[in-house]
Amino acid sequence: MIGRGHPWLSLAPALCVIAVLFGGGLVLGLAGSFGMGRGDAGLDAWIAVLSEGRVWRSLGLSLWIAFASTALSCVIGLGAALLLRRRFPGQGMARLLFQINLTIPHAVGALGILWLLSQSGFLARLSAGAGLIDGPAGFPALTQDRFAIGIIAHYVWKEVPFIGLILLANMQSLGDDPESAARSLGASPFGAMRLVLLPLLRPALIRAGAIVFAFSFGAWEVPVLLGQSAPTALPVLAWQRFTDPDLAARPEAMAIAMLIGLVSAVLIRAAFARRE
Amino acid sequence: MPLSDTAEAVNIVLGEVEAGATTGAVDMIWINGENFRTMKQGDLAWCGYVEKLPNAELVNFDNPAIANDFGTPVEGCEVPWSRVQFAFAHDTARTDAPPRSIPELLDWIAANPGRFTYPAPPDFTGAAFVRHVFTHVAGGPDALIGPFDQARFDEVADETWEILNGIEPHLWREGTTYPTSITQLQQMFANQEVDLFFTYDPAEVGTAVVNGIFPETARSYGLRDGTLANTNYMVIPVNAANKAAAMVTQNLLLSGEAQLEKAQAEVWGAATVIEPDRASDEVQAGFAALERHPSVVSIEELGQAALPELQADWTSAIEDGWIDNVGN
Repeated sequence: MIGRGHPWLSLAPALCVIAVLFGGGLVLGLAGSFGMGRGDAGLDAWIAVLSEGRVWRSLGLSLWIAFASTALSCVIGLGAALLLRRRFPGQGMARLLFQINLTIPHAVGALGILWLLSQSGFLARLSAGAGLIDGPAGFPALTQDRFAIGIIAHYVWKEVPFIGLILLANMQSLGDDPESAARSLGASPFGAMRLVLLPLLRPALIRAGAIVFAFSFGAWEVPVLLGQSAPTALPVLAWQRFTDPDLAARPEAMAIAMLIGLVSAVLIRAAFARRE
Repeated sequence: MPLSDTAEAVNIVLGEVEAGATTGAVDMIWINGENFRTMKQGDLAWCGYVEKLPNAELVNFDNPAIANDFGTPVEGCEVPWSRVQFAFAHDTARTDAPPRSIPELLDWIAANPGRFTYPAPPDFTGAAFVRHVFTHVAGGPDALIGPFDQARFDEVADETWEILNGIEPHLWREGTTYPTSITQLQQMFANQEVDLFFTYDPAEVGTAVVNGIFPETARSYGLRDGTLANTNYMVIPVNAANKAAAMVTQNLLLSGEAQLEKAQAEVWGAATVIEPDRASDEVQAGFAALERHPSVVSIEELGQAALPELQADWTSAIEDGWIDNVGN
């Protein structure tokens, strides 16, 4: 019987979960950012947050992390998907290896990056042992660094398979026909890919990229493990405010959290609008 | 209930009380300092029962170090549980003569570039380190005792930020960034990225040696001018569902036997809040026979120079000031 009733009826269970858990949290968060339930409702927290230099620096850092991670993940994921769709010996194994880190939680991945890239990490010790640098501390700062290299490296490592998987599935449903048609009309292999396949993949790439962007912009666990102390990524700043013993900081935490959601929503909406 | 920070428990209670929930999910919180002030200030702590606990008679509530939690009067709203005192640690195999006062430390940092750093406030331990420098600049804790004083704060703060900004070029990563948690500093000391570690719980150094994180040659030590000390407590939220059970637990944790167990080096090695001579003969004998891990500085030695903690308004102002002036 599933799917035979009115679409709204069939969607109701999923919509309820979204409305109650997600919508409810959003409404409460918004109310909290206006200081509701605390006696003195108003715009104080928003004014304080928006007039604070730290918040803008954190916003800048979070935007850099999200844009860089999304762009690199999309480019590498697309390249990998194009390579993996061909038939070659061991293709099954290659696909499995490509996808295997999808199952690894972000926090675990971030710790792995720390062990690998930090100045007391594996690569630092290896280079020091090989005499390339004087000591592990001479290794370039790739975690807790100004340019958030460690954070971006983690997101790229984690999201490339995600983008690749979505594109592979998309290419499978497109089939070889559009490209074959282009080839039979005289297009070069590269031309067929650039003029036929890529435009067909674009909607899926934008959707997958939007998910990566939203996640890397709003997630807390990776920047808290791999980020520097100042500026912190916006979600880390929100968390610091939320756990500040001073209760007055709580509406500010909510305002920062709402700001994360708002910026993310506006940018993703803009990406979709450009497509249409 | 899983937590990563005491403030989360306070947040849970606050959320419940705001929502009018009379049977909360939290029955007891291990707490002190700013979080206790928040609970007291928000009427979130259940008060007035402490002296009814049979084992409360083991505690000397006239001791100012117990009657005040970071300068906030306890007033029967929480039960003392443990005493801790800030200590530094070094590895005798690497650093045989560590600095033993704040001025010596500042010189040592300049002489050993890149070998020291501290976690950025709002990390609790990092903020405590900053308070040591602040107290040193103020000429001792006496100048800072009592309620917050903006004029005095500004005067001391300017010089403190100047000192802390001054040592930045000699810190790990030239002070462009700081570790974000004490756990990270612990890892860095273990990995020999820095030469000094500090902790608000010297017993931790012994535990780290036992767990193989720190080398056998790690030693904790105090400063000649003293290090900050505080008492931590157990509080029952005003909306706790099981207040009677929480009181029984608190009474048990306050008992001479439990306090002695907690003081054993292989258990925790944490200093007691009770007066051993008010406890039973066995407990007294147990305290007399306590052994400590060789890496842990003795409570008596450390306690010779203990600085009282500042009131919560001071500590928040110092944290915010550091973030705005040093950590940006």
